[in-house]
Amino acid sequence: MSSNPSPHGGKAPVDCALTREFLEQSRALEREWRAAYDRLAQKFGVDPASHVRRTDSGLPVKPAYFAHDVPASACLESPGRHPFTRGLYAAQYQFMPWANQPVIGYGLPEETRRRMDYLQSQGMTGYFGNTFYNLVYDLVSHEGLDPDHPAAEGRVGQCGMAVYSREDNARLFDGLPLDRINVVHISYYENLPVLAHYLAYARRRGIAWDRLGGNSMSWYYQSAYVGMTCFPPRAGMDLAAELIAFCTKRMPRWNTLNLFGYGMEEAGSTAVQEVAFTVAAGIDYARGCIAKGLDPDVFLGRFGFQISQANDFFEEICKIRALRRIWARQCHALGARDPRSQHVRIHTHTSGAVLTAQQPLNNIVRTTLHALGAALAGVQAMEVSTFDEALAIPTEQSATMALRIQQIIQDESGITRVADALGGSYYVEALTAQIEAAALEILAEVEKRGGYHRCHDYIRAQIEASALRWRDQVDAKERIVVGVNKYVTDEAQDVEVFRVDPASERTAIERVRALRANRDRARWEAAMADVHRATERFKAGEVGGLLPAMVEASDADATTGELMAVLKEHLGWAPPH
Amino acid sequence: MERRILRVLLCKGTMDAHDRGVRYLATKLREAGMEVIFINFLEPSEIVDAAIQEDVDVVGVSSSVEGHLPVARELTRRLAAQGRADVLVLFGGVIPERDFPAMRELGVEGVFGPGSTADSVIAFVRERARAVRPRFA
Repeated sequence: MSSNPSPHGGKAPVDCALTREFLEQSRALEREWRAAYDRLAQKFGVDPASHVRRTDSGLPVKPAYFAHDVPASACLESPGRHPFTRGLYAAQYQFMPWANQPVIGYGLPEETRRRMDYLQSQGMTGYFGNTFYNLVYDLVSHEGLDPDHPAAEGRVGQCGMAVYSREDNARLFDGLPLDRINVVHISYYENLPVLAHYLAYARRRGIAWDRLGGNSMSWYYQSAYVGMTCFPPRAGMDLAAELIAFCTKRMPRWNTLNLFGYGMEEAGSTAVQEVAFTVAAGIDYARGCIAKGLDPDVFLGRFGFQISQANDFFEEICKIRALRRIWARQCHALGARDPRSQHVRIHTHTSGAVLTAQQPLNNIVRTTLHALGAALAGVQAMEVSTFDEALAIPTEQSATMALRIQQIIQDESGITRVADALGGSYYVEALTAQIEAAALEILAEVEKRGGYHRCHDYIRAQIEASALRWRDQVDAKERIVVGVNKYVTDEAQDVEVFRVDPASERTAIERVRALRANRDRARWEAAMADVHRATERFKAGEVGGLLPAMVEASDADATTGELMAVLKEHLGWAPPH
Repeated sequence: MERRILRVLLCKGTMDAHDRGVRYLATKLREAGMEVIFINFLEPSEIVDAAIQEDVDVVGVSSSVEGHLPVARELTRRLAAQGRADVLVLFGGVIPERDFPAMRELGVEGVFGPGSTADSVIAFVRERARAVRPRFA
């Protein structure tokens, strides 16, 4: 039995229910069950001693669990109380379910806006009845280019929206009450220019920045496992700290860092690795902020997590419970005392990597299981992948269906009635502790190497090895993927495949050219010179001056590509491996 | 019997990001005894430069998020212009079937969509690499 001292009371929990006599009875029960199990195994021609089944992460599990498998400390946890294994809030979904946060973004800003308005009309709901818009920028923006760059051909408005300027923000948001909506700007390394455009736009609308709610991703640490060209690791950390410092002072409602475990699991990591590397990135960035003089109780409450929900139903639930427990303790160790600074606020993104192009309608079943698992794990917001994920950008129909999955679980299944309904399950508690222990081992390895930003290569190699193992198991049929290596049919399911209007690319190019031609050139040049100087000062260690300079440049109609070019020039920009 | 070890350049557009599949393929081709060079590219000219400098037999481009047609067009045009129309060009990833004929017309001999196995790529490469005649003009 393990018992962890509570950082709140300082007292070790008492084995109240689990008296010695009780435990002996429980162990006797297991012995009796084991004998029966072994007999059955032999009937099936299986050697019970060597037969071990494993979770998708490779953790061995027993065929049945008993009361004595539950760590005593887990019996004394409560929803809304440190270390938050059972959920962040005492009320969980009692008065408000999780927020619907489907990812939206394709083509021109107006096209994305139509999809935003449509999903809002279909009941997409955030907290307190407000609407959350989870908006993804296109690949061209992620690369820090403008649509008229030669490399942008065929990629404008693909995988995200073609938004490159303050003017494009107006096309996207005009008419929406910016101070009553929540906007997630899904961007990669163009994080600062994207926020600068939004702030410049909000200012022109007369909306104070401290009333804006939403999210910047600050995903620089992703260069450890995503193949896109990137800033060097240290510069990435500093760019994140720049935004965090700015928002801490000027935008208290803004979420400043998104810890993207989803991307790790999509790249191939196991659930255990996802927990470990997400926490490792978070504490490394937190330390970077503390080193710049920021108070963890001020900035940590604005860190959020985006976590994958993939196929292994129970492991994916326990992963989230373990993540909450580990993060709370790590943040406590960093000096955070406010409960909000120890919270893992989770936006679930149901796995795209496990969805199949074959028999695509089967994906509706997969994503429903994923969403159900996330709800049982008690997450704060959700994006359910659409069934055509493996084929293209979602159609209106598939996007609506994915929203309905959330709504059906929220309104029909009854699972929102009780917080942490799985808490106390022998298996769930034991597996939560098992994942926690395995993740802490990896975390210790990262720490030994000097922290996340110093071991990108190690992280990449670990994740790639897992991806390879996964695929080898599929090829060897050790891992079943229905429609791919079992129950394969030649019959094609006829589904509509979305296509971005090719005219959108031409329009985006014309727009950015017109913007450059019509802007006040002298004003733009002066603003860009300021951005260069601010970047030099940033590089020399100054905090908080870069984003304001970018806002002024955006106001003078600088584009994402132009602002990113400055950062690339001063900070370095190269493939990650 | 192969005369010498096949050299394969595998590429992923830096903007494309979804590189899990192509990096898996790189491992499998290496395990199959091929020499694999992996690069990220911004523009197709970078693929051609690497293909010529590394003197490869095969170029494989992974594409998961559209943009494959312009890349294929530039790639084959530039390879031909540099006198390397003998290079076997493959594309893989999320490429809609409606684009397969256009890809083949551009000189892309193999298009491997979702569900393709590494073994099928290996077999294809072994059979088709090292053409005696130009594959595209």
